[in-house]
Amino acid sequence: MEKIVSVQGLQKKFGKFKALYDVTFTVNAGEVVGFIGPNGAGKSTTIRTLLGIINRNAGDVKIFGKDVWKESLEIHKRISYVPGDVALWGNLTGGEIIDLFIKLHGGGDKNKRDYLINRFELDPKKKAKGYSKGNRQKVGLIAALSVDSDLYIFDEPTSGLDPLMEAVFQEEVEKIKRAGKAILLSSHILSEVERLADKVVIIRQGKIVETGTLDELRHLTRSTVTLETQGNVDKMRSVKGVHDFKQKDNQATFSADNEFINDILSEAAKLGVKKFECVPPTLEDLFMRHYEV
Amino acid sequence: MKEKFARWNVLFLQYLKRDWKKIIFWILGLGLFSGGFVPAFVEISKGQGLIGMYETMKNPAMISMVGPTPVETAIEYTLGAMYANEMLLFCALFAMIIAALHVVSHTRKEEEQGLTELVRSFQVGRQANSLAVITEILVINVLLALFTGGVMISFGADTISAEGSFLFAGSIGMAGIIGAAIALAMSQIMPTSSSATGSTLGIVGLLYILRAGTDLSNVGLSMINPMGWTYLTYPFTENNWLPLILSVAFSILVVIISFALEGGRDMGAGYLPERGGRATAKKSLLSVPGLFIKLNKGVMISWLIAFVIMGAAYGSIYGDMQTFIGSNEIISQMFTLSGFSIEESFTGTIIMVMIGLVSILPIVIVNKLFSEEVKMHLSQLYSTKVTRAKIYWTNVFLSILAGIVGIFLASISLGGTAISVMGENSSMSISDFLSAGFNFLPSVLFFIGLAAFALGFAPKLGKVIYVYLGYSFALNYFGGILDLPEWFSKTAVQSWIPRMPVDKFDGVIFISMTVISSALMLSGYIGYRRRDLVEGA
Repeated sequence: MEKIVSVQGLQKKFGKFKALYDVTFTVNAGEVVGFIGPNGAGKSTTIRTLLGIINRNAGDVKIFGKDVWKESLEIHKRISYVPGDVALWGNLTGGEIIDLFIKLHGGGDKNKRDYLINRFELDPKKKAKGYSKGNRQKVGLIAALSVDSDLYIFDEPTSGLDPLMEAVFQEEVEKIKRAGKAILLSSHILSEVERLADKVVIIRQGKIVETGTLDELRHLTRSTVTLETQGNVDKMRSVKGVHDFKQKDNQATFSADNEFINDILSEAAKLGVKKFECVPPTLEDLFMRHYEV
Repeated sequence: MKEKFARWNVLFLQYLKRDWKKIIFWILGLGLFSGGFVPAFVEISKGQGLIGMYETMKNPAMISMVGPTPVETAIEYTLGAMYANEMLLFCALFAMIIAALHVVSHTRKEEEQGLTELVRSFQVGRQANSLAVITEILVINVLLALFTGGVMISFGADTISAEGSFLFAGSIGMAGIIGAAIALAMSQIMPTSSSATGSTLGIVGLLYILRAGTDLSNVGLSMINPMGWTYLTYPFTENNWLPLILSVAFSILVVIISFALEGGRDMGAGYLPERGGRATAKKSLLSVPGLFIKLNKGVMISWLIAFVIMGAAYGSIYGDMQTFIGSNEIISQMFTLSGFSIEESFTGTIIMVMIGLVSILPIVIVNKLFSEEVKMHLSQLYSTKVTRAKIYWTNVFLSILAGIVGIFLASISLGGTAISVMGENSSMSISDFLSAGFNFLPSVLFFIGLAAFALGFAPKLGKVIYVYLGYSFALNYFGGILDLPEWFSKTAVQSWIPRMPVDKFDGVIFISMTVISSALMLSGYIGYRRRDLVEGA
């Protein structure tokens, strides 16, 4: 698969403060990569480095095989970006700003623009100073989605949007994903990442702590099992791979190592299973695990 | 080249589109201010006016403020020489500051506001924005110079030649470009936009002070000072174009250095590290008055300094007043009242003029509360136990305090300078100046009352108070010449107040005006307590 974004050992210092220690990940064509991490972990710093707005101290960072600092213009021809807090000129209207952005990008689709303005229910005639946070965000999204790019970088794009508009955004992202474009999606809305992303990159204190598909990540983590048996469920407590065992009458809840799931099942079968539920960890569980360490 | 400056032309057009109102205001305002005073100077130069003014301008205090003249004898001091001598440095200074503020607001400020981030994610060169702003500045200042020169020539005044006019106007335009270049350099070096603005203004101020020193000791040294390249062109007398060439070279050099510096920096960061702010608030900030003082600190300090300079400027005239005022019919009509020394009648008028200017600061402070309200800075404050009464009255009292300090500084600086230049001839003491100044306190209170009333009932009209202040200021300033009907003069609030030391203090007027002003403030409070807060409009 074609590598669109490749980040190798990226480091960035602000004065004495080291914001990024070691950031390494890739985004391939037709792939949505969820980029998640707590506030201050370095998500936006990484994205700004990708955009060539700030320069790195070390590492190899390329988009379309081109250096992000030296060849940023070539790269910018084929990317679209939406920041988490879209700032706009107060005395221009939303429509004017969208047109300007499309012009600066270099040619967009007028129909697509009108279609998106309609979908996002934006009033393009209003001056930007009158827009709420969500409406400013829509301006950024419409401008970014109206043009044809090969890589889309979204930095918390839906902050301030209502759930309906969030759904519209997700549908549009699915469309561009199907068209084989690459998308880097940084977000705090983990359900959004879970729905859209093929791959997740978790950053914490300037380091990438986890990378992989959701399935791969899930595999590393325990699932939550709820079990009800005919016999005394307490016997399950000592089975290998069972943790955090909690019991109420004949019903037990515990977390289970994925590699012992088979053993656990066969032990449970001996007691006569009445009910067995196994819930894989949500992204939130994964995230919290890294967050709390 | 492409990587650096791609699409600067789009940004440039975008700036013209965004700024056209500001640009028109800038060119018309500064152009008329710089070139439009020719008729007034024609009036001043009548009779012995030029000779009187020549003597006045020889005063070291005046040279340190407006710069020297190359003219050696009073006879050669023409209208043009006087105009350039008195106007050029100040106009150039204004041009420089406005351009500098504009550059910072379109470079670092936009980076801080997050506008640049989006723009830069497109195929826009890293330095396209700087090039666009500098081009905009270039266009504005060329237009400004042409307009100013045109205005000056249009009066067809004697000795205001075409060459001199365009040299004068060109010096002002070049000053703007120098200011822009310095600001662009500081925008690369400093860590934040406010420090970029601060350091640019600091450099401009420093250059101004340095040239004051070298003007007095050795004018040749002012020639190595970019601030000196403005008035050292000596329009209408020597018509020296060399300083403009130096300005062009200097500006190009500084802009190139800025571009080089910008090439290596991150967006939103400068070369100097950001000074760590305070992790915890100082105790002095932790109260409503503390917060308001902090919010208004910058504007208060700069206005108060301006009052001191203004007092010193007017005070320095006292030394040669006899020659100056005695020689000019119009001026003597403005300032002389029979039966008093010329210094005393001058004081009466000039104090009124100065306190009129002092009134600006308190109005600014009262209006600041509304602009904070609109910017939603106070939203979280309103939702605490802080009452509207506390907010309103803190603001009003702060503004009264600023008015009192302003009157004090303006009067004492006028009096101090006047007494020192008059030497033994002085018939007035410092307390005469102070009492003349504080005699006008009710007029300042009245303007605060009006602004407070507007804040309570029609906050959008707060700006109209400045218009009324300008109106009454003009009426007072020119009232003496125009011989206006009594009722018409009385529409200016200051004309109710007797002019000390010529007139006697009038306690009834003093107290009744204070009471009226207090009533305005009180009713403003009633409105402020009741009205809806305007947020984000």
